[in-house]
Amino acid sequence: MSFSKSLCSMAIAGVLLACAGCGDNLFPSGSDKRSEVQAGSIGSGVSQKAPDFSVTDTNGTTVTLASSLAGRKGAVFYFTMWCPICDSHMSSMRSSIIPRFPDVNFFLVDYVSGSVSDAAGAASANGYAGGVFTTLADVNNTLENNFQGTMGTTVVVDNAGIIRMNEDYRDGERLLATLAGLP
Amino acid sequence: MNSKNILLKIISVALLGGAAALLPADSRAASCCGGGSAASLTVPKYAVAVADLSFDSELYDGFWDQNGTHRPDPPGSNLKQYRLNLGLGYRFAKDWQTSISLPYVWNDNKYSGASSQTDGLGDTTISVTYDLLDDISSWKVYEAKDMIPAVSIGMSLLLPTGISPYDKEKSSFDITGRGFYRLDGTLLIEKTVRPWNASVALGYGTYFDRSVNREYGKYVEPYTKGLGDRFTASVAVGYSFIIGTAGDSITTTASYAYLNEGNASYNGTTDSDSGFEKQSLGAAVAYSSTDHNWGLRLGWNHAIQQDGWGRNFPTTDVISVGVRYVFL
Repeated sequence: MSFSKSLCSMAIAGVLLACAGCGDNLFPSGSDKRSEVQAGSIGSGVSQKAPDFSVTDTNGTTVTLASSLAGRKGAVFYFTMWCPICDSHMSSMRSSIIPRFPDVNFFLVDYVSGSVSDAAGAASANGYAGGVFTTLADVNNTLENNFQGTMGTTVVVDNAGIIRMNEDYRDGERLLATLAGLP
Repeated sequence: MNSKNILLKIISVALLGGAAALLPADSRAASCCGGGSAASLTVPKYAVAVADLSFDSELYDGFWDQNGTHRPDPPGSNLKQYRLNLGLGYRFAKDWQTSISLPYVWNDNKYSGASSQTDGLGDTTISVTYDLLDDISSWKVYEAKDMIPAVSIGMSLLLPTGISPYDKEKSSFDITGRGFYRLDGTLLIEKTVRPWNASVALGYGTYFDRSVNREYGKYVEPYTKGLGDRFTASVAVGYSFIIGTAGDSITTTASYAYLNEGNASYNGTTDSDSGFEKQSLGAAVAYSSTDHNWGLRLGWNHAIQQDGWGRNFPTTDVISVGVRYVFL
């Protein structure tokens, strides 16, 4: 076999190898594959009841599901790892969304810091200390596990403890619509 | 994505950009944004093919926020991405070449409260390049035509072979690719007047919109997502030293690179906070054997960790080592 044929074979083999198992991106699906969940059951899905939790905020105050909702129409939990995408979401929320919903609590969930002081340091260094957000130090990954959260995950829980939204922040439009629809 | 849109995008890219050596494909990487980059790969005029193997070590150190202010990573964090890039280039006609670059990516993220080591294929790049002009005199400049540079134009296609946020993986730490096809037009201008050489590389790429029905392993209500167009520009200046009497050479290069990506869109609505920008400086030293068959290189790329040198993007240092073999 000539050299050029060998090279072509290597390239084709490489592409085939690369393509194996990555069909979801090579051939994206627009099908709705969300599974039915039992409304009101405890879980992380929309229409399910949020699991209870107890975490510490960067002021050292214990925050539970009940306390996060007390006297409010709902609560928003945004999962941050203090990255540029996270910052763009948090900045957008702070300037465009939070002022329109004074009756909703907004929490930043720091799921990467190992202590309350580290979470406080990260919030401060990024300009989010003492502002409209309360930063939760999820040092035991309670919220991360409860809501299956990762970078950019945005969870809205209404006053009854029902999850109204649990997905990536995207451009904030879905969050706006969800908050506007809170009872 | 309908066929009319695809056609329009292809025409736009062809008009805006031109051509393709495989330009450095800066990509969002590691801890937050997925990655996997291709290396520059050009088959010399005198050769038939090139095989290239390189290893990149990318160290994260803060980021620029929306306003261009440089912010630190969280306390106790240590974020890295490693990439092994295999590149093959083949000159199938006098003025035409094609190439492919396959990266394999390792993400190594440590925070004070989280740690993750994952790996997977990155996004693959295939390209076709046409040599518009050849650099006819690389030794002395006697008349104006001796200043004519080598000019290559081409197109490259980024294939979403990496792990994206729209796969089954549940954590952003697992990401090795963007999840989108992208078509780039590239223009490369090079001039050598020994021992000096200089180059300018321009690239303009457009992503194809795609359907999304899953985010980090969770199925969601389907929507259409688009990423903003990408512009890259780099300039480099090099100086070559001849070693001994056999003709081996060492070339040192200094470079500057600019990257800009426009805003993403969701169901056709633009997200004005999602675009990003990056400026970086580079230095490289390369060894080439007498017969130019073998080449070794060591490079360093540094994002300027100062306010105003980027926006909405991580600042990193990339150290690269590579070996290249040219088939005559």
